[in-house]
Amino acid sequence: MKPDLTEIIKLQNLDKTYRNGNISVDALKKVNITIDYGEFVAIMGASGSGKSTLMNILGCLDRPTGGDYYLEGIDIKEKTDDQLSFIRNQKIGFVFQSFNLIPRTSAFKNVELPMIYGKIPARERKERSVALLESVGLGDRFEHMPNELSGGQKQRVAIARALANAPTIILADEPTGNLDSASSVEIMEIFTKLNRDSGNTVIIVTHEPDIAKCTDRTITFKDGFVVQDLRRKEAV
Amino acid sequence: MLFLENIKLALTAIRANKMRSFLTMLGIIIGISSVITITSIGASAQAMINKQFETLEGGYMVLMLNWRNTESIDYYADLFSWDDVEALKNRFPGYIRYIELMNLGNNSSTTKVGRTEATLTLYGAGADYNKFDKSIQIIHGRMINQSDVDAARENIVIDVKAARQLFNKENAVGATLPTAFYGEEKDLTVVGVYETPPSIFSGLMVETSYTCYVPISLLLGSDGRSAYIEIFASEKDDPIVQAEAFLSYITKVKNKPDDFYMYQSADEQISQVNTVLGTLSIALGAIAAISLLVGGIGIMNIMLVSVTERTREIGIRKSLGARTKDILTQFLIEAMILSSIGGIIGMALGMSLAGLGMSAFGIGVVIQPIVIVVTVIFSAGVGMFFGIFPARKAARLDPIEALRYE
Ligand SMILES: Nc1ncnc2c1ncn2[C@@H]1O[C@H](COP(=O)(O)OP(=O)(O)O)[C@@H](O)[C@H]1O
Ligand SMILES: [Mg+2]
Repeated sequence: MKPDLTEIIKLQNLDKTYRNGNISVDALKKVNITIDYGEFVAIMGASGSGKSTLMNILGCLDRPTGGDYYLEGIDIKEKTDDQLSFIRNQKIGFVFQSFNLIPRTSAFKNVELPMIYGKIPARERKERSVALLESVGLGDRFEHMPNELSGGQKQRVAIARALANAPTIILADEPTGNLDSASSVEIMEIFTKLNRDSGNTVIIVTHEPDIAKCTDRTITFKDGFVVQDLRRKEAV
Repeated sequence: MLFLENIKLALTAIRANKMRSFLTMLGIIIGISSVITITSIGASAQAMINKQFETLEGGYMVLMLNWRNTESIDYYADLFSWDDVEALKNRFPGYIRYIELMNLGNNSSTTKVGRTEATLTLYGAGADYNKFDKSIQIIHGRMINQSDVDAARENIVIDVKAARQLFNKENAVGATLPTAFYGEEKDLTVVGVYETPPSIFSGLMVETSYTCYVPISLLLGSDGRSAYIEIFASEKDDPIVQAEAFLSYITKVKNKPDDFYMYQSADEQISQVNTVLGTLSIALGAIAAISLLVGGIGIMNIMLVSVTERTREIGIRKSLGARTKDILTQFLIEAMILSSIGGIIGMALGMSLAGLGMSAFGIGVVIQPIVIVVTVIFSAGVGMFFGIFPARKAARLDPIEALRYE
């Protein structure tokens, strides 16, 4: 298939079934989504509707059980686990609800980590980590350990880390889920800026319509199906 | 992932759990330190024994009465005589380089020069004995020579320390030394002064008497008898084979049953020590193997705990792009460093223990640099062997499941 140069993500009849012994759960059913470069997308839906499952597949952390996923035209099916690691390292920045910073490891070291796996020389790693932490307003928190930071600060470290290797896609699974409303606003401002000013493709899972409002497009899931796909411009 | 980063990471992880890391290392520490202690002591003992015979020429041996098999002895029939020495000399001309009766036993004698008294231990020497025992270094005059021995001259070669004490000078050649000889006083003439090179024993022994050399013929008399014959045999031939030959010949000459006489040779003593040390190393090897096995299992156990505890961290790392290999090396290096640190501590401990043990005897420890290298490599190897299973477990974790781990 010839890749469409405007499409960053293409899902075709994507299925995901979890099997635990005899019990199987169809978390995603025949999902067809195309996302273009530079889009800012909100994924919504009730708890258990398959949002995280989708994010894990988009982030190449998990594989679909059926259908196709093309990331920048690459057929994910054909890649080995180590190749997927490389894709995650280079193309994808994750932001999780529970921050997922490495414990007992400084903010600086956390941000540096993806660059270590990306084999970037130490000097450049240092410069970029410093710049990234400064850009999220943590210029004075380099040596702080995760347990010495507030929720909002942790999430900002996580964002800086997600940006370390200048990924094309930012995947954020309920990034404000554990934050107070003031911090949530700050975090959303960062995502908006990343999309508007830096042209990153940002996909964000959220429950809150207020947050979804910041985005260009809202895709809603129910029981593993896409039930609505709304572009804001169309909606307005 | 970069090697250096992995080492830093491992050290951080080890430091984060100091007590646990230390307890884990304990098995390795005990294993390595016991090996180092015993090998160091063994090597030092070996060096000591070798040094003891170092000043003696090769082929040194003593034929002797086997006291164990002898209830009562006939002084004339059973002990060795000058005739026996002659018989051996004539029978083995190409093999025997030095042969004399040997006077072992109490030959101490007091002497008095002016007001100064000293105790001498008289040693009966054959001609040019100093050529065979390099610890006798003549600094003035000469050694007992052939004509001294042939004519049983009343000459003596004294220790330089005796010269200093008795004559207030080192060169005492020509001086007269009145010496008690089996109750009879003889005025011996000093013909030589010798000194002994410093050895590991010099500090060890408290000298109460001075060893002095007189012609063996003077000491024992022409009709003398001794339970010992001192021989330096050919260096080119196997000393044990020669000793056996001398022994069986002399047993036949004296018409005695087997085992009536026996021999001791320097080489045999060295090889006995080596045999003991060899046995020791086998026993030691077993102890080491067991304690290292236990230590290794301890490391494996704690690494498994660590992998489980850090499941989520592994998930995060994978989400950030760590490959299977990166996680594998991270945990493998951690296990190897844990074990190497244990090895290094064990080595330091072992060397201190060996040093402590040996210093009680006033002997320096022989530390072989190779031991250090081998210890580090070996303990790292133990860490690698026992770390591979936990590391693989970590590396194979599914990223999603690892991230979800509580
Ligand atoms: N590892 C798993 N094993 C079995 N079922 C799972 C697993 N992960 C998710 N599920 C199920 O898949 C469905 C979708 O889950 P998820 O994608 O986490 O939903 P959401 O993020 O929208 O709340 C749920 O019914 C959930 O129970
Ligand atoms: Mg979810």
